Amino acid sequence: MSSRGGKQKKGNVTSEQEEEEQPLQAVLVADSFNRRFFPISKDQPRALLPLGNVAMIDYTLEFLTSTGVQETFVFCCWMSNKIKDHLLKSKWCRPTSPNVVHIITSDLYRSLGDVLRDVDAKNLVRNDFILVYGDVVSNIDVSQALQEHRHRRKVDKNISVMTMVFKESSPGHKSRCEEDDVIVAMDSKSKRVLHYQKTQGLKKLQFPMNIFQHGSDEFEVRHDLLDCHISICSPQVAELFTDNFDYQTRSDFVRGILVNEEILGNQIHLYVTQDGYGARVSNLQMYDSVSSDMVRRWVYPLTPEANFTDQQGQGCTHSRHNVYRGAEVSLGQGSQMEENVLIGRDTSIGANCRISNSVIGNNCTIGDNVVLDRAYMWNNVHISSNVEIHQSVVCDGAVVKEAVRLNKQCVLAYNVVIGPNLSLPEGTVVSMHHPEEEEEDDDDEFLSDDQEVGHSKDKTRQKAFNPAEVGPEGKGYIWKASMDDTEDEELAQCLWGLVLNPDPESDSESEASEESQDHSRSVSPEIDDVNAFQLEVLGTLQRGLEENIVCDNLVLEINSLKYAYNITLKEVMQILTRVVLEYPFQQQGTQLTTLQYTGSLLPKCNEGQRAETVKE
Amino acid sequence: MPGADKEADLTERIEAFLADLKRGGCGTGPIRGSGETARETTALLRKVTAQARWSSAGDLMEIIRKEGRRMTAAQPSETTVGNMVLRVLKIIREEYARSRGSSEETDQQESLHKLLTSGGLSEENFRQHFVHLKANVIEAINELLTELDGTTDNIAMQALEHIHSNEVIMTVGRSRTVEAFLKDAARKRKFHVIVAECAPFCQGHEMATNLSKTGIETTVIADAAIFAVMSRVNKVIIGTQTVLANGGLRAVNGTHTVALAARHHSTPLIVCAPMFKLSPQFPNEEDTFHKFVSPHEVLPFTEGEILSKVNVHCPVFDYVPPELITLFISNIGGNAPSYIYRLMSELYHPEDHDL
Repeated sequence: MSSRGGKQKKGNVTSEQEEEEQPLQAVLVADSFNRRFFPISKDQPRALLPLGNVAMIDYTLEFLTSTGVQETFVFCCWMSNKIKDHLLKSKWCRPTSPNVVHIITSDLYRSLGDVLRDVDAKNLVRNDFILVYGDVVSNIDVSQALQEHRHRRKVDKNISVMTMVFKESSPGHKSRCEEDDVIVAMDSKSKRVLHYQKTQGLKKLQFPMNIFQHGSDEFEVRHDLLDCHISICSPQVAELFTDNFDYQTRSDFVRGILVNEEILGNQIHLYVTQDGYGARVSNLQMYDSVSSDMVRRWVYPLTPEANFTDQQGQGCTHSRHNVYRGAEVSLGQGSQMEENVLIGRDTSIGANCRISNSVIGNNCTIGDNVVLDRAYMWNNVHISSNVEIHQSVVCDGAVVKEAVRLNKQCVLAYNVVIGPNLSLPEGTVVSMHHPEEEEEDDDDEFLSDDQEVGHSKDKTRQKAFNPAEVGPEGKGYIWKASMDDTEDEELAQCLWGLVLNPDPESDSESEASEESQDHSRSVSPEIDDVNAFQLEVLGTLQRGLEENIVCDNLVLEINSLKYAYNITLKEVMQILTRVVLEYPFQQQGTQLTTLQYTGSLLPKCNEGQRAETVKE
Repeated sequence: MPGADKEADLTERIEAFLADLKRGGCGTGPIRGSGETARETTALLRKVTAQARWSSAGDLMEIIRKEGRRMTAAQPSETTVGNMVLRVLKIIREEYARSRGSSEETDQQESLHKLLTSGGLSEENFRQHFVHLKANVIEAINELLTELDGTTDNIAMQALEHIHSNEVIMTVGRSRTVEAFLKDAARKRKFHVIVAECAPFCQGHEMATNLSKTGIETTVIADAAIFAVMSRVNKVIIGTQTVLANGGLRAVNGTHTVALAARHHSTPLIVCAPMFKLSPQFPNEEDTFHKFVSPHEVLPFTEGEILSKVNVHCPVFDYVPPELITLFISNIGGNAPSYIYRLMSELYHPEDHDL
């Protein structure tokens, strides 16, 4: 199923000149294929959730348009009708839009891999294209990266397959998503990615040595990169996804390319930007960070008062301390909007309120004596008096009655009512959908039609609302933070991002790592041989020390071992040095003598090796 | 149908212009100077006049007002857009009055004499249809465009009267008008120029490079050194983004410092600004007077954790009150700041001040 909103451009590609005049294309994946925003995204797809009172997909499209993209393919799966409606009404589908948007929907997409396989099957992209998700907020100008990418491909005959865009940002910055934290080893001159690994909170990381033997002499290992989830891909990317059916996400792809480098010869490069802002809203903690960055104007020119979506009545005025007020906002006596506040139109705020670091949507009503700090309220929310909200998200249509206190990291989903005189503990998620409801209609989940979801809600028996949880007049069910079954049991994934439980095992790792660890996924049969050789050398050394064998005999033994295990000269020296240096630490007592003993061994070996090379 | 195509084309151009206004000028210096913005606005308005459907001057003024409101809302800090809209409206009024053959060109301001003699408000509803009004208006707009093209040269021609040999001149940041002014004077006179770099955008560096290429002795100083160096300066010549209705300036960040230092040392402050920068706005804080861009220039993103604990602002403009200014040099000559109100009444009609 595909629908088009705009003129269609044909492309006849033959000569290089025509290639450069081809319109720049982009693939926008408006579905994240995970459930980090459940239960909020049960009613509204993630791409349409408002960030600063503007749907997230609008930010992505504005970023693409301002960077010069002229044709965008939007792929939707979950709730595609809503996304389609929204886009057709927006400024992107007007006939005067410089960016032509094609919307492609299908219920069969389950991952990014499926989308790209579809792109390949339908032959939609003719040239280099930009790949983004629907929840990326950015103002980076990608044209420089694009130029570098094209130049590389021209010079190196299409070896470079993808250029990933990263932003320089030191660790600990709150816009760095802990789940997406990566550590990258790259070649400084050519900006080529040599190793890519998600840190996932580990303190120690392993790097395979073979990545540093590629002939270049300047390497960087970087942990100060924030993944913007923007990639410039060549048309080969889609083909590679079709060839490898098990590539589901971009990380799979990157790992696959790096592993199969010798076979296919493809390379991935990197573009790091210092200016410009780019981040992906992958969980609620990122939503908080990106929202506050946007209100504090880091994403200039995508600011609230700019009204870049051209919607009627969406404009607001920008005052001191980053306070934005929409039209027809009324503020009661004594209320203060302290700093970094965005208030949508037609909202009325009562007396003696204190609001800071918050975003309030359109048509909200807020009572007296309300304290809002890092609260994100969407449209049509009703808040009564004497309420305190700290670092929480309140979705459309929710009602919060008197004297309620929402502690940190609470989420009130659509149309929830929280009764008077209640204090919700940290991390509570309340939704009108019952948590068990999803297990019952598991099959219906991915059928996008909104009407069906509405019906299914009626179908389930109306469970009673628990007044202890949501207050005497409350309506809604509490959702427990779900434990995703990932391989590592230490990582508890909740809506607000990764909660890492420190792993007691990882601290006490054995230092003499002699067992073959799978840090190098390129499992070569030589590794076993090398380790066996190392063990043998160690044994030889021990025996030599105990029995006081002459150095020359040891050298002879080591030489024979070298032939037995087929180890190269260079590796022999490496292993020998390592064993000799580590050996004293494994012994207790008379360390000096062992050192002297083993110390004399090395030059003898060296001489022997040199003689050998001369012979060979 | 060619008519519909033209309309679509016009709408597309307007949309592209609006989008450009919203995105352009990210604080690292305007991607297009105000002169170019003014020219593009005028060209666009000429196209609207030519292609839109209107039968009387009143209709045309409504259309232009509507488009003008959209354009000023896109980027409120870019006042040249609004100024050009007002100029075109004034042109339409004048042409209409000329077509009617009346002498109402002289009746601009409300005056006591007018109140006495006119006996009630004259209803001017611009409903009469004149055949040649369209051609006249377009011709007048073309004249306006020619005037815009020649402003920098007009100002530069006055340079020799103001700059004398062996003078030390100070300037701030980068202004194309001041650059042309100084280059013109340098052809006949020898003088020194001190350029304040104007952090955080540091446009002074580019200005200094351009000036020294033509052989002028240039020195770049940091903003903190402005007061210290001021005692050795003979004149301060600056450019500005907007001239406000009270004679004050909305100029690049750091200009107020220079103005205060000049006042303290009784150094004359000369502002080179073409007439299209004169805006009927008064300085008031509420009305989007300021433009704040990404705080990246002040405290870069790579600073890390501190950014979540600190509020960082990066304003682009400064207000300079009219008392600190000595002289305005524009394409129609030199004027004192107290005379600005008269110039405004010649350029714009009082009823148009609020679009």
